[in-house]
Amino acid sequence: MNFLRAAGGRVLGLFVSDWVQSGVVLVIIAAGWFGVTKLGAPALVALVVLLAGQMVWFAQAEARRTVRPSPRQSPS
Amino acid sequence: MGQQIFIFGAAFLGSAVEATEALTIVLAVGLTRGWRAPILGAAAALVLLGLLVIFFGQLIVTTVPEAALKLLVGTLLLLFGLRWLHKAVLRTAGVVAMHDEERAYEETVSGLRDAVPRRDWVGFILALKGVFLEGLEVVFIVIAVGGAGHGFPAAIAGGLVAAAVVAAAGVVVRRPLARVPENTLKYAVGLILTSLGTFWAAEGMGASWPLDFVSILALVAVYFVASRLAVALIRRPAIA
Repeated sequence: MNFLRAAGGRVLGLFVSDWVQSGVVLVIIAAGWFGVTKLGAPALVALVVLLAGQMVWFAQAEARRTVRPSPRQSPS
Repeated sequence: MGQQIFIFGAAFLGSAVEATEALTIVLAVGLTRGWRAPILGAAAALVLLGLLVIFFGQLIVTTVPEAALKLLVGTLLLLFGLRWLHKAVLRTAGVVAMHDEERAYEETVSGLRDAVPRRDWVGFILALKGVFLEGLEVVFIVIAVGGAGHGFPAAIAGGLVAAAVVAAAGVVVRRPLARVPENTLKYAVGLILTSLGTFWAAEGMGASWPLDFVSILALVAVYFVASRLAVALIRRPAIA
């Protein structure tokens, strides 16, 4: 049972480390889908810029959250 | 041809990272409790993982329409790649410590120094669990890049070659592969998978990329610049 739970957690963890970030990515993709349908190629540029921008934003957010009293080992 | 090489490379690099982590567990168990049980456990895990690739690979390729498959796999690949990229950015910037195979190895070894019975179920289960759980990421990478890109043979070959290379290196050095630049590999694979995910998700939406597959290189460049910007903005003194 523990093994199945660990496997399930690992599968979910493949895609989600921060629920908010994953939600934002899904919203961007949904908006991109709508935009590509209506606008075509120009929407691709916006899609890529938004995806790259959220990566920078969430990295900054995590860096702000992470106080470093002692070095911690990050999981794989 | 270029797409097949890209798929092979993505599967190879992604699988090599996870195979290194699985090898660390098998080495720790083997060197402390003997080799028979962990080798059997690792073999059983590899069989299970192979069955997953065949089952899910066939299932999604034969039952899901191509556009939906590209959108679904692209989205999952994007989430997966961004997770690796996010972690690599934080490690590169010194916000979190680098993953240390030597330390992971020592921690596993220190927990295994008990008397070993003739049938070592602990060693078997530890190796099975370690290889299977680390291998799940390999299974996803192989199915995702192989399925959406019509390149299952190339993706499976990439995964198998990576596993063989890492296993051979483990046999030779009999130590954790601490010199594998894991963060750099994860950084590169994160960039590639995020770019492939974006490419396929957009194709699944019905978009056509200029220059077709070559656009992936431009996507890699965009995400690389964004990740370096993130590193520059949050950089801290390196953690040992």
